This record gives sequence, structure tokens and C-alpha cells, in this order.
Amino acid sequence: MDPGPSSSQEADRSIIDCSIQSGDSVLLKLPNGDVRSVKVDADATITLGRVGSFSANDLIEQPYGLAYEIVDKRLKVMPPRTLQEVEDTDATNELINDGQSVQPLTLEEIEALKQSGVHASDIIKKQIEQHANYSLKTEYSKEKYKKRKEAKYSKSFATIEPTLFNVCEYWFNKDQNRIRDLRADTLSQMMNIANIRPGGRYLAVDDASGMVVSAILERMGGEGRLLTICDVDSPPAYPVMTNMNFKKHIFASALSSLNWATVQEDYTPVMAPTEPSDGQFHSDRQKSRLNKRKAVSESLTNTREELFAGEFDSLIVASEYDPFSIVEQLYPYLAGSAPIVVQSPHGQVLAELQAKIRTIPGYLGPAVSEAWLRRYQVLPGRTHPMMNTSGSGGFLFNVTKVYDDPSASSVMVHRQHKKQKSEAAKVGQNDPADTCLSVPESLDMDIVT
Amino acid sequence: MWSTAREIAAGDVVIVWLTRDLLQPLLITPGKDFNSKFGNYRHSDLIGIPFGSKVGSRNGKGFINVLRPTPELWTMALPHRTQILYLADIAFITSWLDIKRGSRVIEAGTGSGSFSHSVARSIGATGHLWSFEFHEARATKAREEFTRHGMADIVTLAHRNVCKDGFAIIDTVDSVFLDLPAPWDAVDHAKRALRKDRTTRICCFSPCMEQVLRTVNALNEAGFTEITMYETLIRPHEVHQIPSLLPIGDVSDRLKKAEQRREEKRLRQIANARSNLSGKRKRSDVADGEPVEGADDTGNKRVKTDDEDEIGSRIVAEGSEANCNPPEPVRVANFPDTLSSGGEVPSTDAHMSSSKINLSKAMPEVRGHTSYLTFAVLAPAAKVADPLGSEVSAHHV
Repeated sequence: MDPGPSSSQEADRSIIDCSIQSGDSVLLKLPNGDVRSVKVDADATITLGRVGSFSANDLIEQPYGLAYEIVDKRLKVMPPRTLQEVEDTDATNELINDGQSVQPLTLEEIEALKQSGVHASDIIKKQIEQHANYSLKTEYSKEKYKKRKEAKYSKSFATIEPTLFNVCEYWFNKDQNRIRDLRADTLSQMMNIANIRPGGRYLAVDDASGMVVSAILERMGGEGRLLTICDVDSPPAYPVMTNMNFKKHIFASALSSLNWATVQEDYTPVMAPTEPSDGQFHSDRQKSRLNKRKAVSESLTNTREELFAGEFDSLIVASEYDPFSIVEQLYPYLAGSAPIVVQSPHGQVLAELQAKIRTIPGYLGPAVSEAWLRRYQVLPGRTHPMMNTSGSGGFLFNVTKVYDDPSASSVMVHRQHKKQKSEAAKVGQNDPADTCLSVPESLDMDIVT
Repeated sequence: MWSTAREIAAGDVVIVWLTRDLLQPLLITPGKDFNSKFGNYRHSDLIGIPFGSKVGSRNGKGFINVLRPTPELWTMALPHRTQILYLADIAFITSWLDIKRGSRVIEAGTGSGSFSHSVARSIGATGHLWSFEFHEARATKAREEFTRHGMADIVTLAHRNVCKDGFAIIDTVDSVFLDLPAPWDAVDHAKRALRKDRTTRICCFSPCMEQVLRTVNALNEAGFTEITMYETLIRPHEVHQIPSLLPIGDVSDRLKKAEQRREEKRLRQIANARSNLSGKRKRSDVADGEPVEGADDTGNKRVKTDDEDEIGSRIVAEGSEANCNPPEPVRVANFPDTLSSGGEVPSTDAHMSSSKINLSKAMPEVRGHTSYLTFAVLAPAAKVADPLGSEVSAHHV
């Protein structure tokens, strides 16, 4: 095989090789399928409700993705579980009736077993032994029963690697409103359409708790620039970034923010004086305060200049504000051929945006779409789509910035006498106000002329 | 990869956007021409203009947009040598496999290179993609393409049947993507290639459910966990601008007015008929003194019309009075496409015509299936002996 990457690239891959570090926010998957985010601090104790508690030190320096059992407040690594083939039998539920008491073990007895430190698997075994109808169950049903009991009694959990996909899924399940319904598939499409890559320069508007910013930073891997525009006058809070556990180099030099006032070129931000009024520092504290202020002021000035210099590679928007006004405001700072991607939970918002933008030269190929995702359970002999699924992961609008040439005219203009179908599509591109949306002409006509 | 300069230079690859459905890659070669039904262009005329420019044809007829290539545009423009992967699948797989800056990835087969370009872009110069293609001609074509696109340092392409011969890479890559007819034959090889010190991932791309089931078994037997499967698609929407929808009150008003007009017209016609009749009689009296046939003494002529024969006709003939005209068309539906079909438009619509609304709906015909995406994880070996001292069994390899 040909030689692969050189050793000098090893250092650059540190982002890939993250084990759990003190201070990280780690996602834990509990036996019942719930995902919890816990802060792992050295020497702290982590408590997971009825699953138990353990020392955080046991997780530090561990790779992500392992499963643990809590035994005497310490962690024991469990071997990965593979799927079990389930044997087909003749059993049916013909003789199993609802509502019958089948479990002689009382809640108190089970509680007593738990208190005495009996292992979850032994409790379940005992329950099965006592279960009046267990033997009548189909093997599938038995599987389900054991799984349900395990979810209840097992004192185990697994760490979830904070990949973009996993973090997005965690937030989507936890509170999809806060990330503006950005499902992992939609977010992935945004990253691809916007051509996010290491070394790129991007503009983003993220009112989705930092889901979009996290995605871009992750894909950039510390190489490139991301300028975000926010609606607050202090550095924006992007809470999703906490779960990504970015190392400082990933965002420190890559991420800067402006707000909707400071992006206006004719606006002069109000800054407190950075020099002492009488030209002399009166104390070290004053000096350091003023120096800090000066640094903030200079950074703001630099960031504004950077924006106004333009030539950004793409614009990515997931915002609660009118998308057209956002695109219009930031359009001048995009390079030619730059993709513009706007996400919204509401199709109507993007339909409006599309209708407005297609009449303006300088925008090429506006399109609205919705991502569709279906997950399957693939247990042996039990493969089917999941019974519950998310209805929508949001809508996407995308368009490409082009430098218009008003003198260039469509082939159509010269060939109107021999109108061809393929050229009709071309007209749509030439004259965005017209037919690029495949709107039947009658739809565009006024009622009263 | 591709040029990141502002302006186009000789030797650059550009994407020529002809229409939404017709994109074409172009290697800028001075001296060459680009001719299409959208006009004629000299490559040399494109040099020095910024990427993303609209360019008019030399003869003034037609234009093109000259875009900077991205993997997404490339997917739309590339020469198909095989069935290719599209945006929805590529994006989803990239995320699930956690492909990002610095990732080391295996793909088999290379196919037309649609996925390869996207991966190369995402991993950047610090990552590496090993791409395998068992079809020699396709491998050669893809290799040429990768070189032309400045990806040679990022992608290593091998002509090899991985199901038979494996990857010849051990404990190295972060993820494996298998787009093969029989991915199950490559699962063990994939496991060998994946590194064991961290969580690694695999994706198998198969159009048929039978393939999925076999793949799942193979993954399970090889010790992969968290096996799951997805389908993902893009539902494109079309946006229509239509007049805002009328409330039915407007329709009622229109119907009432139409009814009223019809009644007025009927009365007018009766009056006309009467005056005509009396005029005619006078004239005929003068002419030959004979009474007009069909007219009775009272002067009420019963004029037969077609409408009387219509079942359910909305014309109500009072007594023996005449109705000479068929009823006016009454518009009862407010579908926008029938609104503009001509005829008199009631004035009630005038105030509505100014407001239009933008509505979107899913396109009528869309892609319904590409492939099933079967994913699985290979858990890392624990780094330290666990606190209880029991050795973590080496469950890999």
C-alpha cells in the first residue's frame, strides 16, 4: 500500500484523539436509553439517580464509547454487547391475558433485593423464575421483557463520543426548539452545501443555541475563520459548544462575533475611553482595566474591518429573524460563487425568501427543500422502521451568489420564434422573476388586468 | 484541492452552470473554446474574471455562470461512470462517521468519485482517504481526476478487489465506507483496518434490504455494536406565487350579483321582445294584413329557446315570457388558474388582485430511494486496566 499521511501530520490530528478530560461535559447513555450530560471534574463524584454514583476520576483519560457497570461506586468496563439471534418458536400470546397478576415478587421484596446489593441480572433472573407466564411467551417477547427489566435495574451506562452527529441528536431529543428543529441530517446537509472545510472563511447567523456554530467549528478543526453575527451586545452564548468539548485551539483563533449594530458600516460603536482622561494611569487596576478595554475595542475594530473586506466563502443562517434582511445585509461580504444556506423550522418562511430572491439578479438557483429521515431497528429477524420518528428536521433554502452581467442576454431572447423546452429552463435562470420555479404561467397572472 | 483564488486562472477547473439541471465541468485551457446551445466562449476569455461570474456569449446570444467547484457542484456535474452518491446520503454518512478535519477514511469502491471529493474536502490536508476500486478503467479515470483536482496528496487510490484481498491497512483508519455489492465480504477486512484505541465507525451502503440483513449479521459477528440503519432523502419543494385565497363570502357576493344581473337582463329582454313584437306586428299589419304566425292576440309571443330543454336549467321562465339567451357563465370556483381564463370579472375581485401569497409544496416527482445506510461502531479497547483489576478482554481481532 502507498504511504499514507506523513508523521508531521500527527500533531494536527490531536482533535481526533480526544479522551475524556477533567472539565469535559460528557454525554452518558443510561440503561433506559436516556442520555444525560454530566460535568466530569477530577475528584468529583458523579451521581446518576438510581443507576448509582461513581468517582469522576474513573472516566478521566478513558476513550469515549465504552460501557461501564457501577460496582461499589467504581467503574468496571463491560465488554461491548452484540445482537443476539432470537430463536423462532411456536409460542404465541394465545394464552396470555392482560391484567392477570403474574409476578408474585412484590415491589418491597424487589426493593429489598436491590438494597442488599444483589446484582441486577440476579434480580431479573429471580423475577423470571417467579413469573407465572414467562414460559408461555414467545422468544421475542422474552427478549423484550429482559430488556425492559434491565433498563430498570441495571447499574450501567455508556459514554457517548461528542461527535457532531451525537451532540445534535442529543439536543434534538432534549429540546428541539432550542436548536430550531435542526436535525442531524439537515445540519449535515447545511455543512456540505456551504462547503465547510478546514481553512475556509465563513459567515454564520446562529440563533439555534450554537448548533450551527459548533458544526462549522468542528468541520474547520481550528483552521480558518468563522464570523458570527448575533443579536446581543456581549459575546454570544452558544451553549451547544459546551457539549462539543472543543479544545481551545479549535475556536480561540477561529471564532469572532459581531452584532446587528456593529455590522452596519456607517455605525460607529460607542466605546468607553481607553486612555486615562488626564493621560496618566492612577493605579495598576485602572491600567489593566483600560488595557482590557483597549483590547476589546481593537478586536471589535479588526473584526469589523475583516467583515467589510468581504470575500467570505459562504453564509449559513439558522435565525429567528427575517431571513431576507439577513441575506441582504451580508450578501456584499460574500465572494463570487459563495453558497448561501438558510434553515428554518417553517417552510413558509423559506417560500417567502425564495419568492423575493428569485426576482433579484446576483442570486443563482434558489431552491427550497426538506430533509427526510427514517431510522430502522435491525435486530435479527426483527427489522422494521422505528415506530416513532421525528416529523421534521427543518427546511433548507440555498442559493449561490453570482456577479451579474446585465448586458448578457438569454439565448431565449434571440430564439423566441423556436421556443424549446430545454431553453425554457434557461429563461428561468436568466430572468429570475419569470419561470425558474416552474410556476405554471396562469398562476402568475393577475385576476384583473 | 480546487483553486481558492478569487479569479479564474489557466489550468483551473470551473463548473459551468447552464441550467439548474445542466452543469458541466471545464478545465480552463487557453486556446480552447466552449460551445453549447447557450453560446460560444473562449476559455481564455474566462481567465482573470472572478469565480461566480455571469458571462455573455461572444455572439451576444446566451450566457453561462462560471462557478468555483465544490464537491456538491461536482456531484451534479461529474461524468457518471457508475451510479453515484448524492448530497443527502453523502452529508448524512459524513456526519455519522464523524468525518472531519484530520480524519483517516477508507472507501470502497471509488465509483465515479462523488463521495471521494466530499470526503477529501472535509478531511483537508491533515486527513487521508484510501480509496479502492476493483474496476481498472474506472480506477485509472478516478486517479486522473484526483490529480487534476489537486487531491493527490489527500487521496490514495488503489485498484484492488477488497473483498478478496483486503485493504492492506492495519489499525489505522477512523472510519470505513463500503459501497460494494457484497459488503459483508469486506467487514472483517474493515475491522482490521480500523484503529482500536478509539471509537471507530463503519457504513455500508446497499440498495436492497436483503443486503442489509446479511451485512448486519456480518457486522454483528465481527463484534461491531450499535448497529443501526437509516434512509435519508431530500424532498425538494417548489414555490408558487398565487393570488391570496378568496373567502367564500366573495363567492357568495359574486353569485348574488350574477343572479341579479341575469334577472335584470331577463327583464330587459322581455321589454325588448315586447317592443320588437309590437313593432313587427305593426309592420306586418301594414304589409299584408295577416297576423304573424305563432303570435296570439295579446301580443305575447312564446319564443322557444334551447334553455328550456336543459334539465336543471337555472333559467326560470315566468308564465309564457321569453328568454332569448343562454345563462351567463357563473364562476363558482376560485381556483387561480380558472380566474384568468377570460370572461367578465366581477368587481369584487378587484381589491384582492393586488395581494399575492407565496406557497410551497413538495415536487410531484422525487427520488424515492437511494440506498439503505447501515451503520455500526467498533468500541475501543479500554486504555487502562479497570479499577477492579479484572483485565479487559481484547475483544478485537
